[in-house]
Amino acid sequence: MDRNRRKFLRAAAAGGVAYAFGRTPGTVYAQVAGTGGFADYKALVCLFQFGGNDSWNMVVPTSAAEYNAYSASRGGAIGVGSGLAIPQASLLPLNSMTPDPNGATYGIHPSMAGMQTLFNNGKAAVMANVGPLIKPTTKTQYRTAGWDLPPQLFSHNDQQDQWHSLRGKLPSKTGWGGRVADVLASQTGSQQLALNVSLAGQTFFQAGAVAAPYVMGATGPVQFQGFGTTGIGLARRNAFDAIASGSYGTVYERGFASVQKRASQFADRVSAAVAAGRNFAALPNAGVALSPLAQQLRTVAKLIDQRASLQMSRQIFFVSTGGFDTHDDLFADQPGLLGNISASVASFYDALTEIGMDNSATLFTHSDFGRTLTSNGDGSDHAWGGVQLVVGGAVRGRNIYGRYPSLTINGPDDVGGGRLIPSISSDQYAATLASWFGVQDADLPKVAPSIGNFTTRNLGFLG
Amino acid sequence: MKDLARSVHAASAALLLVLAGCGGGGGGGTTTTPPPVATNPPVAKAEAFRFLNQASFGATEAEATRLISLGDNTNSYTRWVDAEVAKPVSTLLPTVEAAYPNPLPMGFNLASLNAPRVEKWFDNTLKGPDQLRQRVAWALSQVFVVSQIGALQNLPNATADFYDMLARDALGDFRKLLEEVTLHPAMGVYLSMLGNQKAIAGTNLRPDENYAREVMQLMAIGLVELNIDGSTKRDASNQPISTYNQDIIEGFARVFTGWRWACPTTTPTCTFANTRPQPQPLPGYNQIKPMQFYAEQHETGTKRVLSYTGAALTTIPANQTGAKDLQDALDNIFNHPNVGPFISKQLIQKLVTSNPSPAYVQRAAEKFNNDGNGKRGNLEAVVRAILLDTEARNAPAGTATTTAGKVKEPLLRLTQFWRAYGGKSNGTGGVVKLGAAVNFAGGVTAVFGQGPSQSPSVFNFFSPFYAPPGEIADQNLVSPELQLATEYLNTQVTNFFWQQPQLYTQVQAAGATFNADRMFITTTDELAIAADSETLINRVAEKLLGGTGQMSATLKTEAKAQIDRTPVPATNPTAALTTRVTDAIYFIAISPEFALQR
Repeated sequence: MDRNRRKFLRAAAAGGVAYAFGRTPGTVYAQVAGTGGFADYKALVCLFQFGGNDSWNMVVPTSAAEYNAYSASRGGAIGVGSGLAIPQASLLPLNSMTPDPNGATYGIHPSMAGMQTLFNNGKAAVMANVGPLIKPTTKTQYRTAGWDLPPQLFSHNDQQDQWHSLRGKLPSKTGWGGRVADVLASQTGSQQLALNVSLAGQTFFQAGAVAAPYVMGATGPVQFQGFGTTGIGLARRNAFDAIASGSYGTVYERGFASVQKRASQFADRVSAAVAAGRNFAALPNAGVALSPLAQQLRTVAKLIDQRASLQMSRQIFFVSTGGFDTHDDLFADQPGLLGNISASVASFYDALTEIGMDNSATLFTHSDFGRTLTSNGDGSDHAWGGVQLVVGGAVRGRNIYGRYPSLTINGPDDVGGGRLIPSISSDQYAATLASWFGVQDADLPKVAPSIGNFTTRNLGFLG
Repeated sequence: MKDLARSVHAASAALLLVLAGCGGGGGGGTTTTPPPVATNPPVAKAEAFRFLNQASFGATEAEATRLISLGDNTNSYTRWVDAEVAKPVSTLLPTVEAAYPNPLPMGFNLASLNAPRVEKWFDNTLKGPDQLRQRVAWALSQVFVVSQIGALQNLPNATADFYDMLARDALGDFRKLLEEVTLHPAMGVYLSMLGNQKAIAGTNLRPDENYAREVMQLMAIGLVELNIDGSTKRDASNQPISTYNQDIIEGFARVFTGWRWACPTTTPTCTFANTRPQPQPLPGYNQIKPMQFYAEQHETGTKRVLSYTGAALTTIPANQTGAKDLQDALDNIFNHPNVGPFISKQLIQKLVTSNPSPAYVQRAAEKFNNDGNGKRGNLEAVVRAILLDTEARNAPAGTATTTAGKVKEPLLRLTQFWRAYGGKSNGTGGVVKLGAAVNFAGGVTAVFGQGPSQSPSVFNFFSPFYAPPGEIADQNLVSPELQLATEYLNTQVTNFFWQQPQLYTQVQAAGATFNADRMFITTTDELAIAADSETLINRVAEKLLGGTGQMSATLKTEAKAQIDRTPVPATNPTAALTTRVTDAIYFIAISPEFALQR
């Protein structure tokens, strides 16, 4: 028996998933041989900005009236007293193809030249004010007792969980990336690797009811030492697999063993795929110091390049970068944080064009929350709606989606201190991405449970 | 907090080395002569291992023997705890201070002093006498989180002193701990209460909400109201009930204004605006002194605080001193009914089991609320209650057998392994040396996902609510430590346990490849019996699992067969024996049985 061959766990019929001891169902699920598979390849790349990006400094009004409102709310120029506003003249213009009805214009943070270029070339779009909502919400409704709101607004882990799971007030054990894998299981059953791959640790976003993600490092998996393909090294691997497949009395041993088993199953083949991946000019293997985020994206690009070797037709990748919880030192820290996003994503896009896959992969950002417009001295605090970015050849770029909010303190969108109610929901954002990825309209509520509360199910930024 | 990066790119870290004072011992027997008139049996070895894995940085045969010798199974555990409580505190700060160059060279990298801090942490956890206190401090350091990753990078003294403070208070008074945490400059920097200013009318400036939010959410009461047994209270529509809202966060944010670096004794005229941290470890330097109050930046108005049955106040009056505001606010948090179940359950989960029964949580929480002498927040009483509880001590029965215990934290697998195998380096005076450049390029966190004061954010290395997809999530159970059990980290840890017995043992220590920065283990016992695979695998199981009965049939069969695949030649058997010992140690160390804390 060839132990290197992947074995598919067979999920039982609907509703009756059988759990073998020592295994968590997952990684790969029911294979419905030969039916309904995808002929094309698509990838979604979730870039999570941990900590809560102060995104009102990322995409900023440049027209006079709107800029003045922004600057007033942020207390004047950043670096002066408690001011947090990016100087108007330094903003890089975004030439949106759809003029704002009120004549407002926008620019992007001066550290984001790469993103500016992507936008102005039609390869990037801006989500003006997106965040967790259960249903469309006005300021009056927000203040109405009993109005359905995501619980624990403004809390890091709870709002990360909302972005990951879209659960609203429902209990949920799964993330929307994981649920996409679940609903596409029958069409992706011949894939040799889990649909969800994280390069940044375990994430709720990718947990499915059936599908489990595969987690690798920024530069790919680690290979096992002491294992071989012949002789005692092969025997050692076989012994390792047998122990990982053994029967154990506690859920903890079984949970641990299932990871050991998956690790052993995939390390060699995935490592080989990464090693065979192209040495991209835009994200070279050597000679250029890459940030951890750029390293993650380079590995993603290599796996997209090598998609055929693992028989992948649909993949969701999770990458992340942190440091965005800027209660302090916004002036000093934000240029580096945003500059890294811009440069890394622009290089990733360029790498995909090198292999002709720029239309097949869409990168989108998430973050815990937007931040307060008001200042705590040299930073801002936890808030709600914010700006997110979508990048790729399939993106209907050079557009701002959703209504850019009023940035006036105590204005119509502010629930206090410059915490802005989202104008579009994380569910709408996810549903649009999932639709492009191949989720059928009837399955969208499984992915985005509150989507039925919104008139617009597809925001139109892809397709 | 400065850094919520989830990715684990530990900065400098460093690692290791040490020498375990125990473990290693010679032959197999652990028989104890029972006391003459004993009516109760002694603690069984496997049960001694279970207890010591809950209460220390890892069971060793030597410590199990000592525990067993203290009495019988009705009193040995208590006597062991009694002795632990009385032991002096092992600390980190003096080591960091001693490593501080004097005079300080131009351009000195202060962050590099995190390396001796981590080395000393391994020294204390592998060799230190105050194992229980240190284990509880380690648990508390995952509730009251500060991290060298982020704003504290260049404040290694403050970071070390914060941990020492947790150790000093680990078996003490929770209210005192809460206050010391609040005023410690390491926490002040990490969650930005240090330098928190009052609002200025007519501007957009208002107090920083960071510490106000997290002290409630993560360190004391949590987000939702709890019953005494740790379960979530629900309202009429079956929704959880929030413990606070944004108004209350803003109230506490206003309380926590006006605090900044203590004024150095040499400059008695500090103001909020001009006080600065002192990096040099001079006598009384402010990096390790509680933050100081500066009235000019304190909010003087009323402040909303938590409202609950029995609350002494729900609004702090205007125009109090900053110190009085702080006392009132911390009393208000400390007396919230959530604190007992919230803290007790987290300690149970860190020490004993991921999924305690509600009754177990209640017993510990009641001890938190009243230690029996009318005192609230006596952590020694809570820790005793947790460790001596029937659910911690008795073999689980029925359905509980599948959920008793927990997955060991990866770092505790490492400390237990090194304690059991006499891990040590060639550092001067036996002091643990970090193998920063050798063992753990990038730091212990990069390999094990954890390191002392190296959390990626204030949310710790893993969430207390983490449940992997599959049977654990489906049964509404949790397994927090499995959040670190990714294919990636598990492979790295697995490879560590391959390299260590294969390459870095006493055999190499005598040879040319010895490196003082490298951790070595002692396998001479095993080499002496390595020709017999049955004896060999049983010996390793005794050392790491506390008995051969803890091995599954699969583990024993597979490991033994693998050992036998390397025959021992009649001449020059050393290489073969080393491979046999390596396979034996490797397969036990990477087994699900060793990953489980029973």
